[in-house]
Amino acid sequence: MTVDPNAATQGFPSPKPARGGPHPARYLVPALVAAAVAVALGVYGKVHDPAGTAFNLAGFSSTGAVKSWLATVSLFFALVQLMSALMLYGKLPGPRWSSTLHRWSGRVAFLVAVPVAVHCLYALGYQTYESRVFWHSLLGCFFFGAFSAKMLLLRWERLPGWMLPLVGGLVFTALTLIWLTSAFWFFSTFGVTT
Amino acid sequence: MKRSGPLLTLLAGLLLGLFMLSLNATTGTKTASSTYQDEPSPSPTPKRTVTSPAPTPTRSPSRTPIPNADYAGRTDDDSAAVAVTLRDGKAIAYFCDGRDKESWLKGDVRDDGSMRLTGKGDAELNGTLKAGKRIRGTVDIGGGHYAFTADKAKKPSGLYRATAAVRGAKIDGGWIVLRDGTQVGILTRDGEPSPAPRIDPETGVVTVDGQQLTARPVTP
Repeated sequence: MTVDPNAATQGFPSPKPARGGPHPARYLVPALVAAAVAVALGVYGKVHDPAGTAFNLAGFSSTGAVKSWLATVSLFFALVQLMSALMLYGKLPGPRWSSTLHRWSGRVAFLVAVPVAVHCLYALGYQTYESRVFWHSLLGCFFFGAFSAKMLLLRWERLPGWMLPLVGGLVFTALTLIWLTSAFWFFSTFGVTT
Repeated sequence: MKRSGPLLTLLAGLLLGLFMLSLNATTGTKTASSTYQDEPSPSPTPKRTVTSPAPTPTRSPSRTPIPNADYAGRTDDDSAAVAVTLRDGKAIAYFCDGRDKESWLKGDVRDDGSMRLTGKGDAELNGTLKAGKRIRGTVDIGGGHYAFTADKAKKPSGLYRATAAVRGAKIDGGWIVLRDGTQVGILTRDGEPSPAPRIDPETGVVTVDGQQLTARPVTP
């Protein structure tokens, strides 16, 4: 599959169709949904008056600890995602059930991340008072947009071969950066506590 | 030809998110209300008009009063934190760098939202309340000049203080809990400042030199 080098200026995702692929306008749908999700989350986080507190789980000292551990679980399954994706693309030897592994590790990673995001948006909001917080807010919104795009792209077969690795890689990179700017920061500031 | 698995995944995430949101909105103690009225903040210390034998009626009740609220934030250079608590036209503020520089400041809030608070050693805070959402101002302390922005704080973020005697030493601790959960605090033992241990922001419990104390929200 060849990539038109001029397509790069078209932005993300590049709407240049592969030969025989779906109509380029179809890529607009995931892109627009992704943008809408990201902007909607950001606007909610900005407009909603942060409540400061929300649910907590028994056995944890603070919501920060709960979220950090949930985020770490999510990142773990994201790493499984990366591995199983490499298996699917034949870059790593993998079992026959690696596609099932990829699907379900992705679902778990996503569903575990949702409560964390809800708490972030409900209790803390979209904040920009520090560069760490700013990047975390921005990437958090971006992540759920990019993930929505990834899910919608999966619905079409005959995508350009680079499309899913690119979008999946974006999702993975975003989640990693989100974890570094939150859970990693939390653990290194307050210690690895529960 | 279309696979529905990914859509179901997205749907499940959406439903889970909405479910958690509704759980928060219903179980949260009125925190979900979007109105910016001053909430009857359940501070354990009852409101007292401290040492004001002749309360001068500077504000007529017909004017819109300054809402009771808590504000917390950082200095522009990020070296220290500032928290301000407003109650009934009076303000108490705490400036703290988390190491050795701190000051408690007190004063009145004027009807236009401006305030000039003073503390020990010629410490001074000049600030203005902007639309009830944040206080922007400056603190002058010990020859330093700090600009700060303090956003409206919701529990458990805010200003806490604990005073006690532990093994003969007079303990005075001040904490600013910021919105993201970080704490800036100083513990003074017999006038000797040092970084404060963390308080549990939900309960205010803190362990100082092996003894458990409770830090309480500060009111003017």
